[in-house]
Amino acid sequence: MRKYAVVLLMTLALLIAVGGAVLAQDVTLEFQQWWEPELPEGAFRALMDEFEAQNPGITVELISGPYSTTRDQIVAGAATGTMADVVGLDGAWVNDFVQQGSLADLSALMSAAMFDDSELAAQIQLNGSTYMIPVVNFVYPVFVNLDLMEAAGIEAAPMTRAEFADAAAQLTDTANNVYGWVLPLSLEQPNGIQNDVMSWVWASGGSMMADGLPNLVDNEDVSSAIEFIKGLYDAGVIAPGAFTMREQDKVEEFTNGRVGMMVDSLAHINLIRERNPELNFAITALPATEGYDGPRGLPYASWGIGVAENSEHQEEAWKLVEFLMSADINTQLSSIANAFPGNVNSTPDFVETDELFAAAFEVFQTGYLANEFTGLPVAENLMREFDEEFQLYLDGDSSLEDFLANAQEAWMSHFE
Amino acid sequence: MKKQFIPFAYLSPTLFLIAVLSFIPIATVFYYSLMDNVIITRTDPTFVGLSNYIEILSDDKFLQALRNTLFLAIVSVIGHFLLGLSFAMLLNAKTLNPITKAIFRVIYILPWVFTASIIAILWRLLLNPNGAVNYLMSISRLADSPTEWLSSRDLALNTVTFINIWAGYPFYMVSFLAGLQGIPNDLYEAGKVDGASGVQLFRFVTLPQLKPIIISLGMLDFIWTTHQFTLIWMTTGGGPIRATEMLSTFTYKLAFSSNEFSLASTTAMVILALSLFVAIFYVRNQRLSSE
Amino acid sequence: MTSRLGTIHLTKILLYVGLVAGALFAGLPVLWMVASSFKSNTEIFAYPPQLIDDSFSFAAYSAVLTNPQQQRFFFNSYLVSFVVTLFTLITGILAGYAFSRYDFKFKSTLNLIIIGVQSVPPITLMIPYFGLIVSLQLYNSYWALILTYMVFTLPYAIIMMTGYFNTLPRDLDEAVMIDGGSSFIILWRILVPISLPGIVSVGVYTFMLAWNEFLFALTLTRTNDMRTVPVGIQLLMGQHSFEWNQMMAMSVLGSLPVLILFLLFQRYFIAGMSAGSIKG
Repeated sequence: MRKYAVVLLMTLALLIAVGGAVLAQDVTLEFQQWWEPELPEGAFRALMDEFEAQNPGITVELISGPYSTTRDQIVAGAATGTMADVVGLDGAWVNDFVQQGSLADLSALMSAAMFDDSELAAQIQLNGSTYMIPVVNFVYPVFVNLDLMEAAGIEAAPMTRAEFADAAAQLTDTANNVYGWVLPLSLEQPNGIQNDVMSWVWASGGSMMADGLPNLVDNEDVSSAIEFIKGLYDAGVIAPGAFTMREQDKVEEFTNGRVGMMVDSLAHINLIRERNPELNFAITALPATEGYDGPRGLPYASWGIGVAENSEHQEEAWKLVEFLMSADINTQLSSIANAFPGNVNSTPDFVETDELFAAAFEVFQTGYLANEFTGLPVAENLMREFDEEFQLYLDGDSSLEDFLANAQEAWMSHFE
Repeated sequence: MKKQFIPFAYLSPTLFLIAVLSFIPIATVFYYSLMDNVIITRTDPTFVGLSNYIEILSDDKFLQALRNTLFLAIVSVIGHFLLGLSFAMLLNAKTLNPITKAIFRVIYILPWVFTASIIAILWRLLLNPNGAVNYLMSISRLADSPTEWLSSRDLALNTVTFINIWAGYPFYMVSFLAGLQGIPNDLYEAGKVDGASGVQLFRFVTLPQLKPIIISLGMLDFIWTTHQFTLIWMTTGGGPIRATEMLSTFTYKLAFSSNEFSLASTTAMVILALSLFVAIFYVRNQRLSSE
Repeated sequence: MTSRLGTIHLTKILLYVGLVAGALFAGLPVLWMVASSFKSNTEIFAYPPQLIDDSFSFAAYSAVLTNPQQQRFFFNSYLVSFVVTLFTLITGILAGYAFSRYDFKFKSTLNLIIIGVQSVPPITLMIPYFGLIVSLQLYNSYWALILTYMVFTLPYAIIMMTGYFNTLPRDLDEAVMIDGGSSFIILWRILVPISLPGIVSVGVYTFMLAWNEFLFALTLTRTNDMRTVPVGIQLLMGQHSFEWNQMMAMSVLGSLPVLILFLLFQRYFIAGMSAGSIKG
């Protein structure tokens, strides 16, 4: 009897030891992103704590940096084999990282985990494989300053380009330092090309691409939008300083009531309210060309997510992605980020409780998400090259034909 | 034999640090400049010899960046020198009481104590079309409409050069202040006995005595200014339309925006060659003066 | 006699005019920074701009000062800058002494190399440098920053120390040599005390550079507990909006220790130390 007891005890001890060893094999996932500092303090960490509670044995180490340098940090990390397991991505970077071979094929991870991808609102694919999943999306509708509109005698928000141009002209009052529109063309952050320029093309159902290649020359969609903006520029209804203005400056101009209309991220709604509670503003869709009644493309930027190709914990990394994409968590994240969810079954709280977001959600639902730069090679550089030529054109040193031909040539050099 | 060894003993910490932390990365960058397909690529690097150099040196955008950089560096060096020396002389004036001196000294070094990104942000605010500078100009009737200091092609390069001068002169000033203390009083007294005027004393005593510092500072500042990145990038991003494109911003864009790391390394090597040219001139000059 | 007095008077007036003009040039933008740190983010962009307005508050300062992460940034900046300054001075003085007092093989070549290594734009060195720091297992440590900044500060320190030592007559060395002192004693007991003004100005420069460097501080560290004030300031520049007033408050706070340091050491610039000792 005692013999058995000893054997039993030994077996038990062995089991505990093995079990302990298994439990002790904790996995630490590094998650490099710029989201934590963008969100209310502690909010993102709280989500990670929830993930850790659901997945014992996995801890998440958040590696947070400023947005403006995140891409460079990932490039350097990938080049030296120190890339984090999970990375936050912007759609403009995906192609470059895939070229570098630093992102894992998420399609493979999804099928390995038997994940049903029908819940995902979007997947960014290259050569048929998914490399990035947008976790939350920030759409860019038009913000209008209602008080300035009223003072200028404009009754309804503009729905067509002609109405927009008229409204911008009426809103502009240089003596009082008020302008109709604001256009950020900083070369440091050339995303104005995507959000404030090309968005006009997409809003009218147009495209800057054809068969996966740039199509800027002899493209009525592009040239009409460009000429439209040039018209606004020449009419002097765009706020001064456009050539070095950034998105962050644009929103300050609007918040201070010096700009009647701007194309801007929904992420700014709360910021504008907080910084100027008295500002009376509304949200509307980007105007289209006269007579266009198809669905309107709505520019957007995403917080996307990807997994490192050389991560030793891809399985665990996928669990984190799946966690962030699950309907409940995705709802929470989009609520605190003031963004639209990446899970089709998520509905952020603010859509129901907030009038402005409800209006934006309607704009969002009647249109479609459009950002043709996502997934293109050296996307940020494409915007910058276009930006330089565009500034030259606006400044009057280049004709429309030369401008588009030069931009097309510059772009083509990045496509093989 | 032993005597030969002593200077190297003194130099050993420096040499060790530089050999490990400078030589290896520079050699790597040099290697990249001779290759194609590095860093952001899945294919293996291929040796391409000097073709990257040919491509860079025949690129108009590179040449424009080079011209802008030379303008920025030369004007900045001159501006830094003039302001630094004037302020050092003012602060060194014997008629001032020590407390006045101390207060002004602290005010004068203010531009130096901030990180480049905050200097860029501050001047963007000040020079904004709705900023303080334009406001002052409009209430004093100097201008009718706001001036686009940073976003006009004609003004941007001058504006960033001005900001760079503002941000950098205190370094000269501090060095000159220390240098002025080192000038023996006898030299001035002897000059005064010979009946020299203030201007003559400045020209024949102060300047020659400061010459070694001036030359060292000028050379170092030239090299540093050619590297100036954050200030340019965060004020204008190299724009508008390449008006303030510098070798540093050009290189950064090649490396991190268009993923052309080989070409970026090539420009780095060209900048190295340029700076070495200045450095050789400097070392020569030093050897001549010590002989 | 009266005309002579008049001239002196006029010189003094001109001197003060010059001083005040210079102070306005240097100080007004900084005054604007301080004023902005007390404003609300909206008022910073208000037109017409006002130096002080209704939104005056210490909110930005309390936001920065009560945040433990920001406190950590300040602590790291102090630590790194202090150690870098100390090490740079010691290493630079030793090297400057060798260049000033000895003739040896490869002297000009070494001199050229030391100047040359800083001629590569740091931005292009970033990737290979990063790889090196990782393989030396220094990534995300104070040592990564300390050694890196020394690479940046040493060339200047060496050039300056060589220059200062060169201005000191060799008679001093020989006097000690005759008394039986070694070369190290010459350096430590004679040259270093005389060169204090030069050493202090190199020290201030080094501290400043280490305190304000951003690019490598960000690249070579991974977690916020290793990062410095400039990275902290950059973290306030978000993807969609900037915390303007906190950025300003943080850089005002960041500049205070540097200014205090300068105040403490500036007497070394004032006293005609080196001139006096050379004469004596």
